[in-house]
Amino acid sequence: MIQTGLIQSAHNDLLTDVAYDFYGLRLATCSLDQRIKVWQVDESNGNWNVEDDWKAHDATVSKISWAHPEFGTILASASFDRTVKIWEQTSFASTADSQTNGAGAGSPQAASGGSSRWVERAVLVDARGTVRAVEFAPHHFGLKLATVSSDNNVRIYECLEQSSLATWQLSEEVDVSTLPSISLSSSYSVAFATPTQTSATLEGASATLVAQALQQSQNPTNQGRPGMGNREADGGWCISWCKDRYWGEILAAGCGITGAIKIIQLSPSRRPTTLLTLDPSPSPAGLPAEGGTSLASDGDTPTAFAITSVAWAPSCGRSYHLIATGGRDGHVRIWRVKPAEEEPDVEGEGSDPKWSASVVADFDHHKSAVGRVEWNITGTVLSSAGNDGRVRLWKATIGNVWRPAGSIGVEQSEDAQDADVSMDENAAAE
Amino acid sequence: MSSTDHHLNLFPPLIQVGHAEQFIQSGKTILSTQSPLNQSYAVFPSARKGTPSIKVSGAEEQPIFFASSETSPSSERRLFIGDTSIIFAALQNLTNTAQSRGQEWLHSQETHNVIRKLTLDYVNFARECWIHTSQTSVQSQGSSQFSGDHYRSLYTCLALFAVLYVPEYGYEDAPVGDDLMEWLNVHFIEPSTEEGDHLSGLDHPWEDETFWPYLVRVTLRGLSKAATFFLATLSSHPSDNLRRLAQQLSPLLQSQPRLQSFEAERDFAYASHRWKDKVKALRIELDSVSESDRHDGIENWWDRLSDIVGILEGRSEVIRRVCEDLGADWREISVSWGVFADARLRRQDLPEVVSQVLDDMPQDPTNLEDMVHAALFSGDPTKALSHAAQLDPWLAAHMADLMQALSLIEKDPNEDSGLNIRDFYVLGYAQYLHADPALWRITVAYMFSCGETGVRSADEVLMHVPLKLRSVGSTTHGQGEQNGAGNLKSGDLAGVVKDINATCYEYQREEVRRTICRIAAQTFVQEKEYGLALSYSSSAEDWPGLGRVVDRVLQEYITAGPEQFTRYVAGIAPSLQALRMQSGAQGIFIHRLMFAVRYAEFHQRLCNQDLQDAAWDLVSMFQDGLAPKSWWAVLLCDSQPLLQHDGTLLFTYASACILLQHLEEVIARTDQGSCDEYLRILMSKLGSGGTTDALHALQGVRLALAKYFARCTMIGTGGKQILERKFIAAV
Repeated sequence: MIQTGLIQSAHNDLLTDVAYDFYGLRLATCSLDQRIKVWQVDESNGNWNVEDDWKAHDATVSKISWAHPEFGTILASASFDRTVKIWEQTSFASTADSQTNGAGAGSPQAASGGSSRWVERAVLVDARGTVRAVEFAPHHFGLKLATVSSDNNVRIYECLEQSSLATWQLSEEVDVSTLPSISLSSSYSVAFATPTQTSATLEGASATLVAQALQQSQNPTNQGRPGMGNREADGGWCISWCKDRYWGEILAAGCGITGAIKIIQLSPSRRPTTLLTLDPSPSPAGLPAEGGTSLASDGDTPTAFAITSVAWAPSCGRSYHLIATGGRDGHVRIWRVKPAEEEPDVEGEGSDPKWSASVVADFDHHKSAVGRVEWNITGTVLSSAGNDGRVRLWKATIGNVWRPAGSIGVEQSEDAQDADVSMDENAAAE
Repeated sequence: MSSTDHHLNLFPPLIQVGHAEQFIQSGKTILSTQSPLNQSYAVFPSARKGTPSIKVSGAEEQPIFFASSETSPSSERRLFIGDTSIIFAALQNLTNTAQSRGQEWLHSQETHNVIRKLTLDYVNFARECWIHTSQTSVQSQGSSQFSGDHYRSLYTCLALFAVLYVPEYGYEDAPVGDDLMEWLNVHFIEPSTEEGDHLSGLDHPWEDETFWPYLVRVTLRGLSKAATFFLATLSSHPSDNLRRLAQQLSPLLQSQPRLQSFEAERDFAYASHRWKDKVKALRIELDSVSESDRHDGIENWWDRLSDIVGILEGRSEVIRRVCEDLGADWREISVSWGVFADARLRRQDLPEVVSQVLDDMPQDPTNLEDMVHAALFSGDPTKALSHAAQLDPWLAAHMADLMQALSLIEKDPNEDSGLNIRDFYVLGYAQYLHADPALWRITVAYMFSCGETGVRSADEVLMHVPLKLRSVGSTTHGQGEQNGAGNLKSGDLAGVVKDINATCYEYQREEVRRTICRIAAQTFVQEKEYGLALSYSSSAEDWPGLGRVVDRVLQEYITAGPEQFTRYVAGIAPSLQALRMQSGAQGIFIHRLMFAVRYAEFHQRLCNQDLQDAAWDLVSMFQDGLAPKSWWAVLLCDSQPLLQHDGTLLFTYASACILLQHLEEVIARTDQGSCDEYLRILMSKLGSGGTTDALHALQGVRLALAKYFARCTMIGTGGKQILERKFIAAV
């Protein structure tokens, strides 16, 4: 594990998201400062330089996503201003014409030499709450994107005209909290495979200083904003597409403080349905209820912890899917999801095939809320980031047991005067 | 090698020592994202979700850190990776052939010899790299990523693997002691040459305290030359007994039977037996030396000599004690066991011996090389791989590859992961290689050898290889741009794309190839390299994409005007011919391409003042149904100056009627609300004015048409003449 670079000051306020483009040669960053910046790496020395910088929204930009490059150089940004915007990079020659100065107006060009410019192509205004996440669909489904906002709705948009990017049709709009399951027979099965880590609660004796500090800090924050209520602050809204083409358009989504993730199937011929609910809470008798969420969604019952992040691993030929979740309960979980078997069940009474899931890993190393989980491109390394100020990596062993595989922190090394100096020199040299 | 459980603290730190709470209380958290390019991460402080109202003072810096789980390989490491990948490919070829020729062939002598040869190739490469890095790292301290010692450990592990698991064909069941001793002597040289040099310089070497330990060690190591040399120096020793015994010992040491010298193992066994008898005789003589003559005033030579004879006799307690005294490790005991205690020790019996040795003298758990050796000695290839993976993923991958070919490890996949042992380690190595994007060819080659999971992983890596189609233009603005443009215009597939294409063909990854072609097409559209964009679209058989490229070219007419437009069309026109030949090409998009070409021809003629032909072109585009409805209005407007041309009448009466029909349709449909369908292009060409302006323009066309019909009527037959002339020209 080594540090390979540094952008000393990326924005004027805290960052909210950083997204690599398809090739990892560019970065889009967004921030509380309402701006988006696009950076390009200089491959000769590894330095990142600002290419473009513009004010994108009227509130915090919460998330940013790159479209697949076969559609062009396109970004989607989600914001607390309740909109999602579609941006396209145009080359300098065509910026001269009249229709492309949408974003250019009032947004000073950064040190880009004016060689390119990002143009606002569309604004999607259907959300009735702050938009928390946006993600383009896998490219084989066309130019589509999914958003989730604090109104608990997942919205799917489809671009009707790729050449102009101007028209986006809201093709689906579903309230995740009330979305029914696929069939009356329970499509739900949670089997706890041998958890690889014993879970300890935050209140447990093992809670670290960090965790204690966290708990202390939580209360004043909430009291400070009486108007907002806890929901916006304590909820989690997240989405992740199934990357595999074979199973059709499927999406994992979580909302509010339910602590559960729903696997939602989209189909042109019928309304979206829930294939499966991933709920880690030890199921009391009778669970799951239809839809699996009525418990938590209609009150501010703080029993469940919100899932802040979900990540669907590229399946890469495996016969099952891996879905990782990170939540405010401090747990990183990896779900192994088996799609419904192809062959019709001989003894089944014509019921729909069922998807099933089990938890194959459950880690509480962060000892504090987990803010982000993400897979690498082959679905073999999971990274998670938590309020403990650490990024942790996870890998499967040869026995297919998930294990810690390193971590990255931002603390000052206690023993590292020398190391600091040498790093300093490196940074200066760069 | 970066260990798997490793912590990195980024610099500059955001949390001072002991101030974790401050960071948390400021409402911050840490987020990260993984790069698709390599095994690296962007890490940044962020606002905690759900606390949108936190405002920090603008003065604070908001850094983004970049960290990688692997150091990207240095040049010597790259060389090593590249060279050994060739051996890997050769073995891959072999196993692929085996799949078609059956398992029996895989176990044939021919195949075994090839596998042995490839194993020894790995051994030799590791040795070369060790020698190379040891030399260079002396010159430039610390520049080498892996020390020479690292490659030395790879060398010892592979060589041991070769000795124990890949013997010459037919020798699997032969005694292994001599081979192991050779391995030990090559890799763990004892006693040192310096000691020998020192002793040989002395007149009475036995007076030196290192003399006897040295003599015992060379005996233990079977180094009979050194042993006899120093036994000879004892000829001037004051003790008669010692002089006599030393003289008798020398030929015994030299005559110890070696397996290699015998045709059949039976002969070897017989010779060993007879030799042991001679050793016994020497022991009897040794025991007869009186107690008083056993000490020469410096050392109890008799004890030492007795140890040497004890070793030759193969007494385990002597070997063990001597080794402990000499500071030798479990390896030396185990190996000397196979030479002296049980000269007929088989490979399959070795683990039992080794496990006893390790009970007393365990391997060093902090030394991975030691752990790999112990696992190999213990006949546990799987365990050896798990230690090897920690030592260097390269070692685990290549050893596992060989082990599978030799059927040493389980071939069936793990039920959970779907990967077998070999694939797990080979994919692990491939992932390590992915840290260096420049190594993508090697990365995917390893991945493609690992079943369905490997193939799909390779797909992902291939698709994420940067195409660098525009890097020349955007990174260096100087002369590089021209070079790049030159390359692109030549119409050849540019470097990386060409390579990826070839790789996709080689492994039959058509889906990936098409995706990459679609991306390339899109990139070229952005670069306005429409000709290349078209050929990539058609290579991907992406007909809607091809249609979009044509749309973009037509768009150029609207934004940049006819001159630019004709220039761009000149770039795409050649592809039209090729596409028409192609059977799979879908009509509608080709149709649009044809329109673009014809429309450009029309403008070319206008530009050349070839008005007559231009007019004919214009009408025929309507007649042939080539012009899309959205373009009708534009074409009609184009007809206006031709209609108003002062000289000859450019249109026949019938042609003018065609124009009128289309004009009527456009206007009528616009009235009915299809304004967008019919006027869209004209509106964008005219700019801001909207429908009104467009309709106004069309009214102008109508007026021109009306006047034209009037002229036709006055001249009467004018149209006909033109028509006839055209016919003649056509015939």
